[in-house]
Amino acid sequence: MANIFPRWSNLLPLKIAVCAGSAAAGVALAFAYYATPKAQVVGYQPSQPIPFSHKIHVDQLGLDCRYCHSFVDVAGHSNVPTGNTCWNCHQHVQRESPKLAPLHKSMDPAFPGYDGKPIEWVRIHKSPDYVYFNHSAHVNRGISCQSCHGDVHKMEVVWQDQPHSMGWCLECHRAPEKHLRPLEEVYNFNYGDADVTKYSRDQSVKTTQDLGLKLKEQFQVKPKESCATCHH
Amino acid sequence: MSKRIWHHPEVPAGETTVSWRSAGQLEDTPAFREWLDREFPQGAAEMADESEAETSRRSFLKLMGASTALAGFGMAACRRPESYIVPYTKAPEWVIPGKATYYASAMPRATGATPLVVTTFEGRPTKLAPNTLHPDAAGTDAFAQASVLDLYSPSRSRRILKAGKPAKRAELDAAIAAIAADKAAKVGFLFGADDSPTRNRLRKEIAAIFPAAKFYQYEALTPDSMDGVRMVADFTKADRILALDCDFAGIDPQGPVTAFFDCRKPEGKGYDQTPDAAKMNRLYAVEAAYSLTGGMADHRLRVAPSQVAAVAAQLARELGVSGIPSDGAITDSKQLEWISAMAADLKSHAGKSAVLAGSRQSAAVRQLAQAINLALGNIGEDKPLFAVLTEATGLGTLASLKADIDAGAIDTLFLFTPSNPVYDAPADLGFPAALAKVKTSIHHGERTDATAHACTWHIPAAHYLESWSDARSARGTYTVVQPMILPLYQDCIAETELLLALLSADGKLLAGEGEKGAPSPAYGAVRKTFATLGGEGDAAWKKLLRDGFLPGSQYASATPAAGPVSPDTVPAAPAIDSLEVIFATDASVYDGRWIDNAWLQEAPDPISKLTWDNAALIAPKTAKELGIYDEIIAIENPRALGSPDGEGENRKSPIIEVAVNGRTLEIPVLVSFGQAENTIIIPLGYGQAFDKDDELERKPANQSHVGLVGVNRGFNAYPLRDTATAYFATGATVKSTGKRYSVALVQEHSAMYGRALAREISTIDSQDDKGGFEKQLANVKKQGNDSHAPTNISLYKPMGSARWNPGPDGKAQPLINDPLHQWAMTIDLSSCMGCNACLVACQAENNIPVVGKEQVAKGREMHWIRMDRYFAVQKDNTFDADNPALVPQPVACVQCEFAPCETVCPVNATVHTEDGLNAMAYNRCIGTRYCANNCPYKARRFNFFDYNKRNPLIKHNLYRGPLGEKTVGEANHLQKNPNVTVRMRGVMEKCTYCVQRLKDSVIRQKRGQKQEALVAGKPSTEMEVTEKTLRIPVDSVKVACQEACPADAITFGNLKDEEKSAMFRAKSGERNYDLLNYIGTRPRTSYLARVKNPNPDMPDAKFIGKATIHMV
Repeated sequence: MANIFPRWSNLLPLKIAVCAGSAAAGVALAFAYYATPKAQVVGYQPSQPIPFSHKIHVDQLGLDCRYCHSFVDVAGHSNVPTGNTCWNCHQHVQRESPKLAPLHKSMDPAFPGYDGKPIEWVRIHKSPDYVYFNHSAHVNRGISCQSCHGDVHKMEVVWQDQPHSMGWCLECHRAPEKHLRPLEEVYNFNYGDADVTKYSRDQSVKTTQDLGLKLKEQFQVKPKESCATCHH
Repeated sequence: MSKRIWHHPEVPAGETTVSWRSAGQLEDTPAFREWLDREFPQGAAEMADESEAETSRRSFLKLMGASTALAGFGMAACRRPESYIVPYTKAPEWVIPGKATYYASAMPRATGATPLVVTTFEGRPTKLAPNTLHPDAAGTDAFAQASVLDLYSPSRSRRILKAGKPAKRAELDAAIAAIAADKAAKVGFLFGADDSPTRNRLRKEIAAIFPAAKFYQYEALTPDSMDGVRMVADFTKADRILALDCDFAGIDPQGPVTAFFDCRKPEGKGYDQTPDAAKMNRLYAVEAAYSLTGGMADHRLRVAPSQVAAVAAQLARELGVSGIPSDGAITDSKQLEWISAMAADLKSHAGKSAVLAGSRQSAAVRQLAQAINLALGNIGEDKPLFAVLTEATGLGTLASLKADIDAGAIDTLFLFTPSNPVYDAPADLGFPAALAKVKTSIHHGERTDATAHACTWHIPAAHYLESWSDARSARGTYTVVQPMILPLYQDCIAETELLLALLSADGKLLAGEGEKGAPSPAYGAVRKTFATLGGEGDAAWKKLLRDGFLPGSQYASATPAAGPVSPDTVPAAPAIDSLEVIFATDASVYDGRWIDNAWLQEAPDPISKLTWDNAALIAPKTAKELGIYDEIIAIENPRALGSPDGEGENRKSPIIEVAVNGRTLEIPVLVSFGQAENTIIIPLGYGQAFDKDDELERKPANQSHVGLVGVNRGFNAYPLRDTATAYFATGATVKSTGKRYSVALVQEHSAMYGRALAREISTIDSQDDKGGFEKQLANVKKQGNDSHAPTNISLYKPMGSARWNPGPDGKAQPLINDPLHQWAMTIDLSSCMGCNACLVACQAENNIPVVGKEQVAKGREMHWIRMDRYFAVQKDNTFDADNPALVPQPVACVQCEFAPCETVCPVNATVHTEDGLNAMAYNRCIGTRYCANNCPYKARRFNFFDYNKRNPLIKHNLYRGPLGEKTVGEANHLQKNPNVTVRMRGVMEKCTYCVQRLKDSVIRQKRGQKQEALVAGKPSTEMEVTEKTLRIPVDSVKVACQEACPADAITFGNLKDEEKSAMFRAKSGERNYDLLNYIGTRPRTSYLARVKNPNPDMPDAKFIGKATIHMV
């Protein structure tokens, strides 16, 4: 009986396997690179026109978040400070620092390259399309900046700390106790289990989560899970 | 395969009401039944024929294949692009990014300014709402709602023109300075008919400096003022109202109209009293064709407009007014009986009634009405009618301007009127020729219309939301017109700024912000005017800016002259060979000024349901006598043989030729129910410009006058009109032309069917099985199927998952479980007149796209509110069987608790929220359209194309797909509400009760928790958070349609507020019923039955109040 398959065909299965394998790997890589939700790019850390350090301003100098992000508790958007907010201090402090050239350019009429144009900060956190996230709804009910933005007070250059995906949102909406704090502690980046006793004389409340559970009850926090909560 | 058809039970044999939406349905062609079964009107869901479409299915697939292959190369674009946050350098006061700021302003109008509250986002005005603090607040109408779109209109004038060619600002400055320098100049000013105190002040100053200056006032469809004396109605005091051809609820306002509608509710304004027929007013209407006011009337008499004088004279005679000649008296015994019974009713309500004569009626009719009102004692300070003295006195008319030009008394003419006199002046006046004689004519307007091109100069006008001004409202309250934004285009100049330039020492024209360091010139002028009225100082001024008006600044009252009553000889009633033509104000373009407003063009006419064009309207009987009825009813449709009157791309109306005043006009014709026989209505304002795409291949003309919205729109009836026949003309003839024109009618689109859709009851007992008012009220809920259908028992239990979403007890909980808020709405058919204000307001609030005439014809209009308009007549109506009742019914998504749409969505894109909304997750929708298929209310709209991106107004543009032209103009997107998703092609959309407003108010309320802790000075952990903290104040959130409604027909609120909420009280009343209750959807929007309050002594009384609509 003659061979049905010629000799060269012996390697064919292997060749097919290698080709298919590399094609599959290519598709997977391409998909991972191009098509995964960009909101989940944790670690995104672009360089900014001015290398603003949250570490210096928040951790060392003790500025409150709301000095610059002044509308976080009244509006949906948490605003990035306007030029004159920076200028309030920096017309006196560190005035000569070359890092502040873009600020001078936009604020200081005496500066050689002055054009009065606003500074273009690079956006780091971006809600996915068709989502209406409201900051004031969260910070006024005991959810800290830290829960979504991470330890910003330690960041020299800000990066995205959490994946802002829908699954991540729902995780907290289903179990808010992990993040709930007394309203006084919302902007406190050093809040921890040690602070709990200030707010509860109950011996069984030991951790922030224990307190969160209590606050959930007391604040009547019932986060919604229906679509129109964020999509409209 | 068509969908499975639910067989509604047939109307029982005893039913006496016949109801219909369109002539085709009334004729009951078999094809209409198929029509009703469709989810979308014919053609809407299908691709066009290959030969018709630019992109056929086949080539579409080819293109798609190619683009998918190419996508591999272009994928890099998917990577997250770097985007920037650009904060202000110097933060403007009050601006919080992402949050709306509200300012009081007003829209100046001939009948009194409409006080407004303007929503702005980062300085962009996006939405207008009525200023409810204002004493003359009466909601808004469609025009006011749509006026914000004019600001961003791509066709808006933005360049100075000299003799039709673009000119530089410096040239204009020089020209103005030259005029200002010549103090002996023979200069004339033609203003609009609105009353502005600052303009009046500047006018007097100009008259003092320029002794030869003359001033005139003109708006095409506003009658010349009678020495500044105007009658204003106070509807709170009017128990009986007679409208003599007066559409006071629509385009002919006579005073704030909301009070009229409050008195249409037997439970009172807030639905807080026991229903009492005695609390209702009664409206008599005498008119030729249905107007919005006529639709509300308890008794309506159809007469030709020329015969209104005879009716008024007969009424005057009945009421004993002396000096009424007896010629032209009414001979029809039915009409005599009608008038006599009405006269008795008015007499018994002397001092509490009002007879309103339409402003388009002759001076004789107005005098008669005045005499009747004086005889009844209806006029006075605390009476239903009072006369006020406006400040717009001493102004000439257009005719006197023409005479002055001919006499050589005008060398320089400023035209500030919002009308377009070259286009809309009466034909016999010869105004265009006169204008050409003026040495320098300066047109100031928002459009480059015919007048702009006929003048030496055209100056683009700043929109009223761009410039400082002031105005008087209906009763004269001083109202400030605040700008929200600097003019979008550099050359735009305000009227006040031009007048100030003439008054300044060097004639320097300062626009916008004016000179650095000084307040803007127009601001200074308005503030100076205000100082004389409201006092100097910042406090009064700031209060004015906050409230929008100065309290207690009404017009001085005037004593109306008793005047001799000299009725004209009433012409003979029109006959089939001598028809009467009525030149009507159009509900979409008004006098033609809104020809370029896409929202108004696409809003269907409230009566004829026609969009994008005008058409002549005639009564069915007249059409039959003229032999064109069958032509109108038949449809040219190669595929669906004998499809009814209705809709679809193939709907073409026959064109008739109307000859009147020795001139002719070809115009398509439609049948209009309830119209007087032998009359033809022709709406004005259309046919301003044509281009090569015109369907009738009319000669391209005036293309630079309008933009894409206004080109090829309708037919211009102004040339038929003479000074003496400005509003109606007799002796017209009609002949058929054999031509046809496609009309985009929406009356049958998304036709619902079922029994007792709109319900109506009467306050009187007409001695039949319906019984008296109490019995009829008690039976509202039992009309139609609800009389005998068994109670619905649902097998489906709307419970959540015990595993994923357990309640506090760990068990499954109901899906609709929010203890704080449960939203619901009522729509009161007793006060809804069907005016479209809600429809346009919804469009502005919710970023609803315009789809263009082609797409509307296919039934693809996107309006979330469908304004249904039904006619109904009693089978035994012996008084006038051709006078059916007109019943409007707005239908949007009713937010069913058991929503049929939700169960069929394969991707959960439409789901229920905890607070009772039927939400749409647009980004989840894949466009199967199953939901629309399963919606019994036909409330869902599908984006067949990307209407926001591809300009739907260019012929066939949508079918070119990605090759199509993008949307025109750079400014359209600035109007969009940033809190609402702009929907993409292939996505279903519908009303969600303005969920963005609800979410915003709930979140705002949550901030109170922290405030309370701060005020109490306690740690937040020691504060008790209750429902009171988290539930929004009663009735504190208004949805866009409710806010806009001039009739207060819509109530909205939180069911959990119970009796405290007007919505809840309305819902618990006896008039409340659910639409299609028997199919068990449990809608959150319910309707209140319409109540008619007929006079039992009238001959037609027993046919009134029975127009319950059955569509089977």
